[in-house]
Amino acid sequence: MKKEVVKAEEGEVFDVELSEDLLQANRRLAEENKQFLHSNGVRAIDVMGAIGSGKTSLIEKLVQLLKNRYRIAVFKGDLTTTIDAELIARHGVETVAINTGKECHLDANLVKKALQKLSLKNIDLLFIENVGNLICPADFSLGSEKRVVVVSVTEGPYMVVKHPFIFIEADVVSINKVDLAEAMGVDVKRLEKDVKTINPRAIVVATNSRTGEGVGDVSKALGFRTMEFG
Amino acid sequence: MTSQIVQRVLAEAEKRKAKKVTEVHLVIGKLTFLGLEQVHFAYEALTKGTIMESSKLVIEEQEGVVKCNHCGYEGGFKYDDDPLYHVPVPTLKCPKCGSVVNIAAGKECTIKSIKLLVA
Repeated sequence: MKKEVVKAEEGEVFDVELSEDLLQANRRLAEENKQFLHSNGVRAIDVMGAIGSGKTSLIEKLVQLLKNRYRIAVFKGDLTTTIDAELIARHGVETVAINTGKECHLDANLVKKALQKLSLKNIDLLFIENVGNLICPADFSLGSEKRVVVVSVTEGPYMVVKHPFIFIEADVVSINKVDLAEAMGVDVKRLEKDVKTINPRAIVVATNSRTGEGVGDVSKALGFRTMEFG
Repeated sequence: MTSQIVQRVLAEAEKRKAKKVTEVHLVIGKLTFLGLEQVHFAYEALTKGTIMESSKLVIEEQEGVVKCNHCGYEGGFKYDDDPLYHVPVPTLKCPKCGSVVNIAAGKECTIKSIKLLVA
């Protein structure tokens, strides 16, 4: 929405009322992506989390779990390289690497561009893995239907309270690498409580995305029909 | 973000054939991850050598506002004060009735107005 009022002031100085929200521009584009995906019958899931929290492994496990029931595609955001994209692609799903170059987050425009690389009529489900970062992605919605945040116990006991705004709009939170919780001296229940305090709406699942523990519950929390792992 | 702001202002100034930009007024929401000090710093660096150089940057902060669909509360965030942590943690619980609230404001990065010197 653009509103312009121009009024002359002291002869030569013009006061230009712009009222333009630059973040709103991204949100508008995200809304367009959402409509576009919806009209093509594609459900999109945004996966966010710190570097090394286990986003890619969680997506890999979800893909393994769901690929017999859904036609899946994955967008993999990274500054550079297609290493992770290849990890996911070996499961036989269509993968698009989105290299941001220097940007620390994906935005709705990059997702819009990546969507042009897919033939959406052959896809039911799209995972969008954001760049590893708990800060900037919170400001840029992409147009997904649900947002997953992965936080691992190896990031320490205070990761959730230190980054409340990424959790505040999450639908599902995976507390990952729970097999290492004891060694790290991290209380998984405490992390869960922190998430629930910030965002009572979020569904919290303890996971180990290397073995697949809890991944079925993440899938259920996202509303997918699955079989148990194993 | 700051470079987007500068680009947008320069485009507007050019469109209006301005000789100089003297002032830029922004509104930044407290729920965004934009640091005001960094925005000021980047602004100064990015405007150097342009018609925006040495213009005044005014940043107004917008408080986070939440709305409750249950009891109709509209206002500031509730912060959960856990003695274990030094920082109060924001929560989506309604300060009045405890239901889950929606964010109504605090996520903006708006160029509110600019002042141009036209020859």
